[in-house]
Amino acid sequence: MATNKQTGTVLLEDRPQYQVRLEVFEGPLDLLLFLIRKKKIDVYNIPIAVITHEYLDCLRRKDRINLDREAEFLLMAALLIYIKSQMLLPREEPLPDEEDPRRFLVDQLLEYQKIKAACAILKEKEDEQSLFWTREGLPPLAEADEVDLAEVSLFDLAETFFSLMKRKEGENFRLVKGKSVSIENKMKEIIHLLEEESVLDFLDYFSRQETLEEAIVSFFSLLELIKARLVLAIQEQLFQSIKVWLRKDALARKGK
Amino acid sequence: MTPGLKEIIESLVFISLEPLTLEKIKEALADFPAAEVEEALRELLQSYSASGRGIQIIQTGGGYIFSTRPESDSWVKRLLKIDRKSKLSGAALETLSIIAYHQPITSSEIQALRGVDSSYTLKTLLEKRMIRIVGRKNSPGRPLIYRTTDRFLAHFGLNSLEDLPTEEEIAKILGEEKTSEPKP
Repeated sequence: MATNKQTGTVLLEDRPQYQVRLEVFEGPLDLLLFLIRKKKIDVYNIPIAVITHEYLDCLRRKDRINLDREAEFLLMAALLIYIKSQMLLPREEPLPDEEDPRRFLVDQLLEYQKIKAACAILKEKEDEQSLFWTREGLPPLAEADEVDLAEVSLFDLAETFFSLMKRKEGENFRLVKGKSVSIENKMKEIIHLLEEESVLDFLDYFSRQETLEEAIVSFFSLLELIKARLVLAIQEQLFQSIKVWLRKDALARKGK
Repeated sequence: MTPGLKEIIESLVFISLEPLTLEKIKEALADFPAAEVEEALRELLQSYSASGRGIQIIQTGGGYIFSTRPESDSWVKRLLKIDRKSKLSGAALETLSIIAYHQPITSSEIQALRGVDSSYTLKTLLEKRMIRIVGRKNSPGRPLIYRTTDRFLAHFGLNSLEDLPTEEEIAKILGEEKTSEPKP
């Protein structure tokens, strides 16, 4: 084996991994079956000497052999030589069929041959099936019981707030009488609105505010409500409207 | 026939990402007589096989699932930027068919049949959810026992293990091989 080490490495370097995998014999049974077919040998009556010679020849050339599996190929070579030695032992009477030293190997080869044939059929089925595309590759359904949208970050809220403020500033406010609005009252108002209609379009709500002060207070109220985890605010895209929901657990808490 | 039953089943199959079994359909439609559900499903399948649409309902892996038509394959691949659907390696296919025919089976039994160590292939097949561990054998070392999954069936378009290539089909292949000249 040592003398062939050189050629073996060269082969590996010359052939990219994937290419080697396609043509090599995956295991010793694979190679044995090939040799049996090539030599047109009857599986039930294998001339062990012939097949061992062929087999070792392949091993020596390291031709089309999966080198990762070299040890397993060598094990089979040992088994073949063992079988041959068993057959050479002088006996008084010829061995009955079931004690034929080749029996174990023959059984294994026959079963392997069947598996190989089944593989060929399955391969065809796999090819046919590969033309049918299903949606399994798409992301799985969200498991959460809440709406499957990303929650907005504080930053997103602030961005929207500033864009809203600009719009509000454009409006011509006429201050007649100072009206004090507390965050607490605004929070109650928002909750109340949410209880009536499950979703609140915050942009809408914001523009409905009469004064700038009230608008600012309503924004802070929303932040407070989010902080207290009473509502869920979701913005699908930057500068788009923020939708506000009452949290389900918040409803439950209120019920108690 | 209850009106709308066909459409309900269509919806159920539509939202399922894995083949939806008849049992599951019946479970969801427990308020309808089973015979009517089966009849509606039959009608649904018929209407899809007849219609000139780009999608169809196929029966695979023991259930029903929406799939594209094979004629659209090359364009689907272009959209998804995929050269070809991932296929199993020779070693994986070999190991998988051994498990399919001999299950429940242990790693060492697979090794005996293949003549090579299969632990790495088993790991990949487990990752691909083509096989699953069903327990341990009551023998020395308490080795793990493997079985194939419904996903395995779906991968090959099979509905049950009974759809695996039969003895006759295998014998036919072997017969062909004996008569044909092996390549030198």
